Amino acid sequence: MATIPMTPAELDEPKTSLWRDAWYRLVRNKLAIFGLFVIVVLAFAAAFGPYLTPYDFLSQDLNARNASPSLAHLFGTDDLGRDVFSRVIYGTRTAFVVAIVVTAIAVTIGVALGAMAGFFGGWFDRIIMWLTDVTMSVPNLLLVVVINASLKAPLAGWMEAQYLATLNPFFRETIWVDFILVFGSMALISWPPYARLVRAQVLSIRSRPYITAARALGLTTRIILLRYVVPNAVGPLIVSVSAGLGTAMVLESAFSFLGVGVNPPTPSWGNMISDGLRVWQHYPHLLAAPAAVLGLATVGFSFLGDGLNDALNPRGSK
Amino acid sequence: MLRYIASRFLLWIPSVILVMLGVYALAFYGAGDPIKLIFLRAPGDVAYDPVRIEAIRETAGLNRPFIEQFISYLLNLAHGNFGNSLSSGRSVWAIISAAAPVSMSLGLCAIVLTAVVAIPLGMIAALNQNTRIDYTILGSALFLWAIPPYVAGPLLMVGLLVLLPNVPVPYGWGGIFDARIILPLIVLSFQPIALIVRQTRAAVIEVLSEDFVRTARAKGVPETIVAIKHILRPVLTPVVTQLGLIMITIVNGAIFVELVFGLPGLGRLTVSALTDSDYPVILAITLIGSFLVMLSNLLVDVLYPLLDPRAADTMKSR
Repeated sequence: MATIPMTPAELDEPKTSLWRDAWYRLVRNKLAIFGLFVIVVLAFAAAFGPYLTPYDFLSQDLNARNASPSLAHLFGTDDLGRDVFSRVIYGTRTAFVVAIVVTAIAVTIGVALGAMAGFFGGWFDRIIMWLTDVTMSVPNLLLVVVINASLKAPLAGWMEAQYLATLNPFFRETIWVDFILVFGSMALISWPPYARLVRAQVLSIRSRPYITAARALGLTTRIILLRYVVPNAVGPLIVSVSAGLGTAMVLESAFSFLGVGVNPPTPSWGNMISDGLRVWQHYPHLLAAPAAVLGLATVGFSFLGDGLNDALNPRGSK
Repeated sequence: MLRYIASRFLLWIPSVILVMLGVYALAFYGAGDPIKLIFLRAPGDVAYDPVRIEAIRETAGLNRPFIEQFISYLLNLAHGNFGNSLSSGRSVWAIISAAAPVSMSLGLCAIVLTAVVAIPLGMIAALNQNTRIDYTILGSALFLWAIPPYVAGPLLMVGLLVLLPNVPVPYGWGGIFDARIILPLIVLSFQPIALIVRQTRAAVIEVLSEDFVRTARAKGVPETIVAIKHILRPVLTPVVTQLGLIMITIVNGAIFVELVFGLPGLGRLTVSALTDSDYPVILAITLIGSFLVMLSNLLVDVLYPLLDPRAADTMKSR
């Protein structure tokens, strides 16, 4: 029995794949590569922060308070003589941890609920879509700020009670309270767009002619899912994850700026900006350094997101 | 159409009740006892007398179960009674109606400014696609998008003071015809402008490849007429659909802009209510914010068939 040619080698076609094509399109896009470069540098700084910082982010040098940028202190020092460069790098750590964890939680919830909503339909679909409507109809910043402001004290109290009861040092670190609250509340407002995206993808892909064609060819459901549904659904998701990481970073700094995010002394770009605002007339570097890095990160993620969009959805772009 | 608007409004009510339930629960379980909060904040040495507190709680109905209290809060809302502020004792309605006009006029001006500036800029960028003009406009838009309002505000303030040392610092509120509104308005419009420039550009590029544009050009219609008559109208539809997102951006941005420029609006009220754990005020602001977003989404749906008659048929069949 003659076999039908299935692989590229059998079909005598140049070896290529969706991902390789996308990668080539991405590399040709200068702005996207710039974005990727910025993100890689920042991620490197975040990952290896402790080995890169010249000073500890808490160590104070009261003889060198509010020093202007110099070789010893690249970004100068703040009002307690702490090295701003080291603090910005630790702030990058905070920003990346928050952005990655929040996006991971939000994507997990969003993909699971969205896929189930698209797959099952019916009342489940309607409830999930209603929930996304509700969450997206409240100004998101307001909601997160309210959650953080009202739960911070009770959660901190609970942690303290746990510590006194168990003497487990884990419960003594109040930093966990900040992170748990920031993660939870930000994930709560971030999942609906992912859910909607995935649901729409599942709905539209399910009825595409190439799925029908694959079925007609007698391919198994597993192959159809892995080879046709997932690659086509994952492209837009990657794009929105890239944008979502940038948004999460901005949100985190906004909360810290308002004093409801990660609390000092843990460095965060937001609370550094907020501190810098009080003294910018005299020491502009205290505002400029964290603000510039935050701006750079946002631009980086937005360039990369655009580039990924063009690379993964070639039909949508010119 | 009226029936459609009414049904949308009725659908909004359950979602806003869910949000209010969430915030109410946060206040009820998270923030702690409102009476204790009042006592802690009372001036002078008001004795913390458990018997008296119990009496107040009895008369105020604060010892009833959670659901009962929430329902009575909703019933009060339905009668237009927003309760009293915990920190000042004034009626929440009076506080809100003093602050809302400031934010509303600022927000409306920002929307008008965004439309006037961003749509022409986006069109210019698209009509000069991949030229220096396009890159300049697009690059500036990305730049504006990346700067959070709490950075842009102070930086512009510094810039103004350096450039025009004789101009008084733009701090405070004097109505929309006061010169002090200019800077906050610009800062508040930055991110919406960036959003709409990119949206308009993408929409114009898509429309440019439509047959009717080619036909108009082939007929010898002057390029300016093509831009205004043939391109602008189909472009407005995707742009107008972003109104809800712009609303959220503006509501979020107002919190920072009002804080930085000392405007007595809802944004600053939000921050002060949060620092005081003034939950009646926070609940009212959440309600208003959600109402605004719902209203702008509704406006989009109503405007859509007017702008794009092709969509009118699908509207009717809904």
